[in-house]
Amino acid sequence: MKAVAVLAVLAVAVVLRRWLRRRRRAGGPAPAGRGLGPFTSDVWLVAAREMRERFRGRMFKVGTVLILAVVAAAIVIPTLTSGALAPRRVGIVGTLPASGRASVEAAARSVGTTAILSAEAGTGEAAAALRSGRIDLAIVDGRELLVDKAFGSTDTSPSARFVRAASSGLGLAEAVEAAHLSSAQSSALAGARPLPVSSLQSGRLSGPSRATSVIGLILTFVMLSQYNTWILIGVMEEKASRVIEVLLAAVRPIRLLAGKVLGIGLVAFAQASLIVAFALAVAGWTGSDLLRGTAPLVVVATLVWLVLGYAFYCWVYAAAGSLAERQDQVQSLALPLSLPIIFGYIMAITVAASGSASAFFDVLAYLPPTAPFAMPVLVALGTVSWWQFVASAAISLACTVGVARLAGGIYRRAILHTGGRVKLREVLGRTAG
Amino acid sequence: MLELDGLRCRFGTVTALDDLSFSVPAGQVVGFLGPNGAGKTTAMRAVFGLTDLAAGTVRWNGAPVGQAERRRFGYMPEERGLYPGMLVGEQVEYLGRLHGLGASAAHEASGLWLDRLGLVGRVGDKVEALSHGNQQRVQLAAALVHGPELLLLDEPLAGLDPAGIDAIGDVLVEQARLGCCVLFSSHQLDQVEDLCESVTIIDHGRVMVAGRVDDLAASGPRRLVVRVEGHRDAGWTRGLGGVAVSEVSGGRARLVLDASADSDTVLRAAMAAGRVTEFAFERRRLSEVFREALG
Repeated sequence: MKAVAVLAVLAVAVVLRRWLRRRRRAGGPAPAGRGLGPFTSDVWLVAAREMRERFRGRMFKVGTVLILAVVAAAIVIPTLTSGALAPRRVGIVGTLPASGRASVEAAARSVGTTAILSAEAGTGEAAAALRSGRIDLAIVDGRELLVDKAFGSTDTSPSARFVRAASSGLGLAEAVEAAHLSSAQSSALAGARPLPVSSLQSGRLSGPSRATSVIGLILTFVMLSQYNTWILIGVMEEKASRVIEVLLAAVRPIRLLAGKVLGIGLVAFAQASLIVAFALAVAGWTGSDLLRGTAPLVVVATLVWLVLGYAFYCWVYAAAGSLAERQDQVQSLALPLSLPIIFGYIMAITVAASGSASAFFDVLAYLPPTAPFAMPVLVALGTVSWWQFVASAAISLACTVGVARLAGGIYRRAILHTGGRVKLREVLGRTAG
Repeated sequence: MLELDGLRCRFGTVTALDDLSFSVPAGQVVGFLGPNGAGKTTAMRAVFGLTDLAAGTVRWNGAPVGQAERRRFGYMPEERGLYPGMLVGEQVEYLGRLHGLGASAAHEASGLWLDRLGLVGRVGDKVEALSHGNQQRVQLAAALVHGPELLLLDEPLAGLDPAGIDAIGDVLVEQARLGCCVLFSSHQLDQVEDLCESVTIIDHGRVMVAGRVDDLAASGPRRLVVRVEGHRDAGWTRGLGGVAVSEVSGGRARLVLDASADSDTVLRAAMAAGRVTEFAFERRRLSEVFREALG
């Protein structure tokens, strides 16, 4: 795999070098529309129109609000139902030594909260307080723990984990006391840390990384599907309304197409950034653990691959749009194009849910059609190094350049061809000729 | 001056342009005529690089036309093309900017042309909310907004009411007076005759006739219009050598005289038939030039 990645990077370098050399050789004055600066060139004008019209559209506004609502719900609801943040209320019957109190507080910290200790007059009062929900746990004479309802052995809720941790800690404290250890020995035992564990097989996703990864996959899937469909329909509508002839009288086809995909891409990135910023704000506000551990890295990887995925697919959809002239033709073209997206998404969701990736999935992370879904999951699993990430991105960029060139040729040939759906074979034949 | 030189284009087995060559001088409105399928639209699209040519060159002021030149041209295609959901003012402004205008210049020119074409109250409407005629005016505004040096208009008068035809006709003549090169195609030959100083008639992708309208009208055999009281047909012309009846309508006989015929002989024959209420030489009409050119 490493050798393949190195070869891919070398191939990209060779292609870039040849391209730069050809540009240097071509020399001469810049064509019209290029010398006007980045923000007044025809490409930017086309992009700006796309952005203005999309931002104004009701579909965009309603869609954004809906996505934000779903993201907020996905972050807030688990936080509300987990109860992890509520301080654990512990009733003490009799006495509890300082080491015991420290053990209870450490147990609370281990589930991300604090412990509030209160004295109870007797076991009967403590039981009543447990039943009424005033306290979560009662400790009788430092030797017995009392809860309202028993926790199952598979229960991983914060309440169950807290009680188990308190139970272990108190047991240890009692054992230390019984062993008559010195204070230094007691402190050494209390400060014991678990040894790191290395694995031979790929890792499993932790809770926060898994949730972030799944939300990222859904976002990537929704945005790639939505914005590529916009390109497909947008190109088809320009052809169907015949405005294309007026536009091409002033702008070269490839620059018109570049402006279109740039404009829609910027709208997509703006929406994705808004969603991520909103998610970060909500997660911070609610104290959600969605951004703990490797989750921030997963967010960055998702955004990078959203851009790379859009860059790869947008040309394909634009070329397909130029073949169509009616809505029903668009639908029949969109279906086969969406298959690799759906395949990549399902594979990635499956791996994110199971927490382990196969060798086949590793390969998918290097194929441009499926990499936008597979690579962020591998990042979440922690099974890719930076150079593998960069190699996959380089392969995707190199393929995007090739796809863009081919799509540009198809677009140029097909966009002015009216009178029914254009056959791809016919256009490719003419492009070759 | 626009020059089309030896343009050749084929679509499958159909020859759309067959060594087509003609020129359009600056400061003139030139009519581009021909039957359906003659190659008019293909020739216009070739000027904008929208058709792949097998051979030939399009030149502007002696130099081959490139993208920089095209940005200074205005085009109104036969198949009207506008964004249906875009606002009228923004649309014209946007197309002006694509043709190289700055933001404020495009805004100003857009308002000016929409005002001039009677759309001042519709600037904030979507194009799809306008009538066919008004959409056509927006399309013309889009072709004019950047002050083009060359205007190519494919059937700009089709589907317009008389007021619309007059409005667009006035603009075309005005643009030509300002030094613009104007070429437009139409099937409405009466309007073409009124608006154009020159015409080019093509068929099967070849030029059949080209020249000034006055010269074409004055060329060919002499024509007489004669009305004789009491004669609804042109029976009194029977026996006159070298005289052919072109058309009879409302008691008026349109006669075509060949070189051997003498108008005095025709007048005498008419007076012999009855009281002559009309006797006049007539120019050849453009429709007749068109029909004769196409055989």
